[in-house]
Order: sequence, then structure tokens, then C-alpha cells
Amino acid sequence: MEHKVVDHLFRHQYGKMVAILSQFFGLSNIETIEDAVQDTFIKATLQWRKGIPENPEAWLTKVAKNRTIDLLRKIQAKKNQLEKITSGPTFIQINELFLDHEIEDSQLRMIFVACHPSLKPKEQIAFALKTISGFSSKEIAAALLIKEETIKKRLSRARKAIIKNNIQFDFPAAHEVQNRLDRVLEVIYLTFNEGFHSTNKTKLIREDLCGEAIRLSKLLLTKEKFRSGNLYALFAIMCFHASRLESKINSANEIVSIKEQDRSKWYFPLIKIGHNAMNKAMEYDDISIYHYEAAIAAEHLKARTFEKTDWNKILTWYTKLYQLQPSAFTQLNMAIVNLQLNQFEATQQILDNIIIENLEQRKYLYYGCYAEYYAKKNATSLAIAYLDKAILKTQNNLEKDYLKKRKLELEII
Amino acid sequence: MKDFMMIFIGADYQELGLSPEQLQDRMGKWFSWNDKMGEQGILKGGNALIPIAKRVSGPNRTITDGPFVEGKELVGGYYIVSAENADAVVKIAEDYPDYDLGGIVEIREIMVFDQ
Repeated sequence: MEHKVVDHLFRHQYGKMVAILSQFFGLSNIETIEDAVQDTFIKATLQWRKGIPENPEAWLTKVAKNRTIDLLRKIQAKKNQLEKITSGPTFIQINELFLDHEIEDSQLRMIFVACHPSLKPKEQIAFALKTISGFSSKEIAAALLIKEETIKKRLSRARKAIIKNNIQFDFPAAHEVQNRLDRVLEVIYLTFNEGFHSTNKTKLIREDLCGEAIRLSKLLLTKEKFRSGNLYALFAIMCFHASRLESKINSANEIVSIKEQDRSKWYFPLIKIGHNAMNKAMEYDDISIYHYEAAIAAEHLKARTFEKTDWNKILTWYTKLYQLQPSAFTQLNMAIVNLQLNQFEATQQILDNIIIENLEQRKYLYYGCYAEYYAKKNATSLAIAYLDKAILKTQNNLEKDYLKKRKLELEII
Repeated sequence: MKDFMMIFIGADYQELGLSPEQLQDRMGKWFSWNDKMGEQGILKGGNALIPIAKRVSGPNRTITDGPFVEGKELVGGYYIVSAENADAVVKIAEDYPDYDLGGIVEIREIMVFDQ
């Protein structure tokens, strides 16, 4: 007997089934639907021990559908509303919903639901990761480095907001699409960044979050009406960054800076897909921060060695990015690039203009940058003092180790 | 060779709230255990039990609905294996996947009735 199920089948199937069943039973029943889908997996783990069904996905969807009907019937037994579901034309209809293109369509609808303006930004991400991507609240908590209780609260508030505002399981109206799409892209990018910059010990979580973000943007790209320069550019950035995912952390689970990364380990097929996406992005008139960020990432990937990096070009892109959307993070990056170019005055000027508070959890990068600034100027004791400040400001053990290692290097000099 | 029943107690997946990914992972472990026993030709049967129970008791055949015990005491399923002796079954039971979730395996020899 062949005992093999596709990797992540359950997690991916979770999102598909919740979307399809929401399409059919309505978003107001989302909680029941999620319970039913969860029950289905438990049933599968028990029942499949005797043998995996010929078509596991079909088995799961059928069981989940029946379980939903079951649960809803229990809830609404008195109202007798659901009798009609088990037979007649409606029964045929639900089977049709399980065709591939219908599944995609439902998942896209769910993305827009997750990014509905009645949900707060933090709730949107939690809800998307749970409902679309099939992560448990515990897994989301681990990925976002937040307490599980907080995630549970966010999920429950999101569900309540959906019911209270009577959000329909539908695409936004034509005139709203652009606005809503902007938020969708933000949520996708945030998800990706959580994965890419994750300090989480398990490689799995990092890869899963990045993979989900890429999957969702690919899903959006399947529909003509959602395609835009922004979306292609965002897709390109994620491909570019993801190509470095392997080389970013070494086997000892330590951070490897871009300077020291083994460039032969970068995954070139992804870089190529990224470039194709960038070319597509150019066919549209819109321009966004994603375009510039993709250009910066591409520039880094282009250099055969760290020394060959074209810092002038990167600085140009950062300057344009800053003009489009000023942010402390971009300033910090501009300072780092100027330092690479040995433009000490410019580096210091930019650093001193940064409002450190706006860097939030990344304040340590500011102090780290100042440390490098002094290290380059051979003011070792000042450099070490700033490294100590940086070490104090980071919560993340991987970053802490990296900074401590750097301090040791300087102390030897 | 004698027949033994391995009774699985506790580790109720429902109650533990495992994620889809974790459930799939669990399932994979059960598959490899099954495969191992299958290769050795020792697995004679078994079933998983639904955690909802009814009890009939007393001269009046009184019916009560569960739950009667907590999830950690609930019998979740059983396998029947053939082995030399109980020690050999203990060895087999080492691969039971759910010890880390608080699961227990009880090993009982199946009685053979004299002809």
C-alpha cells in the first residue's frame, strides 16, 4: 500500500475548503465551517490509517461538506432551513463548486474578505494566515512572535467584524477594486516579510510564510482584472528575496550577512521568474514602492561578488523610493549604502536625521549602522560602544549572536 | 505465536487542537508504523473509535450518554498483533506515535478458549 500524502496537503486544503464552503454556506457561518474542516482532518488521520483514499482531496471536501451540513443542522435544527441541501439541484451545485477554477475563485474572494477595511490591519494578517493559509493560532503566534492568546483574540474580533458588518463573500465593486487591492498587496508583503525576516528557529515557518505570500500573489495574477504593475513588482521582489532564503541562515542557524552569503547557493530559477515579472510590471503605467524595492533587490543579485555591488545605482533607487514614500527604514538603508561608498559625511547626516522611534523593533539596526560607521573610521572603541547599544535593543537571539560576533571581531583588532 | 491487543488511550486529537500541518505529520507517523508492522506481517487488524459513547447499564437497561471519562482516559482505538510474547509487543509499541501527546498503550493478550 502506498502511504504517501502530498506535503502540506492538509494545510493547503484547509484554505481551499474553508473558501469553498464559505461560498456555499455564507461567511456568517465561517466559525462552523472552520470547525467542520478541522473535524474532517481529525477524521482523516484516523480513517486513512487503513489506507489513503484514491483521491484524498475529493474525500476531504466531501467529508467537510457533510460535516458542515451536520453542524449547521444541529445549530439550526428548529428552523429546518437546511433540508434542501442534501438533495435536488443544490446538491449538484455544491459539487460543481469543487472544480479547480471555482476553488481558485473562492480563495480569491477570501483574500478580499481578509483585507476588508472593517478588519484592523493586525486582524487582517491573522485572519488571512488562519483562513486562507491554514495555520493554527499557535503556529501564527510562533511565526509572528506574538502570544497565542493575542492571536486568538484577533481572530475572534475578525470573525465578529465580518458578521457585524455583514461582509459578503464577494469581490469588491469595480470602483473599489484598486483601493482594496492595495491593501491585499500590503498584507501579502507583510506576510512575506514576517517569513523572510523571521527570527523563528524553525526553517519551516520561515519558508511556509514566504511560500504562502508567493502563492497568494500568483493566485491574484491568474485573473486579468487584478493584474497591475504593482502586483508584478511585488511578485518580483518576493522571488528575488526568496532566492536567497537558503543562504541567509547557515547550518548552525546563524544569520549570514549578504556580504558573506554563498552566492552560488542563490536559487537562479526564482531570480529568472522575478526578472520576467519585472518586465511584465513595466508594461503597466503605475509605479510603486514595490518597483523600486524590486530594482534594489535585483541590483544586489546582479553582483557576482559583494565587492562588485553597484552601490551608486542602489542609492539612486533608494532615493527614488524615499521620494515616493519617506520612511525611517529607507533613510537607514540610504545611510548604509553611503557607508559602503565611503561617503562618511552623508552617512552621518542621514543617520542624524532619522527619528529613531520610527524604527520600532529595528532600532538596533540604527546603532549597528553607527557601529560600522565608526569601525570604518577606525574608531574601534566607539564602534564597540554602539554595538553594545545595538545588542541591548534587539530581542532576537539570532541578531544578538550576530552582533556579538561582530563585537568580538572588533575587539581582536 | 499469540495474539495481543494494543489499546490506545488518550491523545485525543480533537481535544488537543492540533493544526492541519501537525495532523498530517501525525498521520505520516502512523503510516510508517503501519508499514513497518505490515512488512513484518504481524498486524492482524484494528480500528479507531469515535469518541462519542453510550452506556447501557443495570437491570432496567438504563441508557446514558457520554462523555464518561476525560479525553486523556478515552480509548481511541486498538490494533491486534501477533507476537511471541508480551515483551515482543512492548517492543512493537515503542513506535506508537503519540506518547509525546500523553498517549498510552495498554497491551493485553487475547484469550484463547480451549476446544
